[in-house]
Amino acid sequence: MFERPQVMAIASALAEHAAARQSAISRNVANADTPGYRAVDIMDFAAAYRTEAEISLRQTRPGHIPPSATGLANAAVETAPSGHLSPNGNSVSLESEMVKAAETRKDHDLALAVYRKSLDILRASIGRR
Amino acid sequence: MSDFQNALSIAASGMEAQAMRLRHVSENIANADTPGYHRKTTAFEAIVTEGTASGAVRLGDVKLDQRELTRILDPGHPLANEAGYYDGSNVDLVIEIADAREAQRSYEANLRMFDQVRQMSQGLLDLLRR
Repeated sequence: MFERPQVMAIASALAEHAAARQSAISRNVANADTPGYRAVDIMDFAAAYRTEAEISLRQTRPGHIPPSATGLANAAVETAPSGHLSPNGNSVSLESEMVKAAETRKDHDLALAVYRKSLDILRASIGRR
Repeated sequence: MSDFQNALSIAASGMEAQAMRLRHVSENIANADTPGYHRKTTAFEAIVTEGTASGAVRLGDVKLDQRELTRILDPGHPLANEAGYYDGSNVDLVIEIADAREAQRSYEANLRMFDQVRQMSQGLLDLLRR
């Protein structure tokens, strides 16, 4: 009964994923002028969520730490250089980082909106508002 | 939440490095007419703590540009040799201004990331406040 509804679990996983991606984007932007730096990104959410469901960790003893919603799949991976490497070996394009940042912002807002709405529905079901 | 803290400090390190770079550019421009001045150049480098790259960035050591100094003909100049030439600086204003523009652009990108991370974590905190 008091288990967290699936929709809230997905929403919080999406928020966590957006936070991790934002961290990777900040890293790319900060290193936009570092010679030899290759841009990184993380797996997209659909793939990361599926992978996590398939190879999730099991708690076999009470003392085990539960796995975070998307902990494993959020590791940053190097993205393949998309053709335009600058002369100093840097593969960051500020424009594409800005696009990714806008997407991430949208994902995060979406996750928080769904979470908030689910909370409202739960509250309504116990007769509060 | 720790991702946000991380992202904030990385963006802040980027802004700091770009500001330092702008400082070197203005030093070069200020000394464009100083006889014998070599322009300062720097490269960005990743900060590595305990063997792993933290993602943050800083400005590396300052190096002096070893290109030849411009020779200026001015027999009346106190530093002029017998032929009437003296060594000027090797600062190229066009390069410096292009560098300044690039630093500004990167600084603004970092600032935008900083602001976005701040707003995202603010949204998260607003959930708790209800």
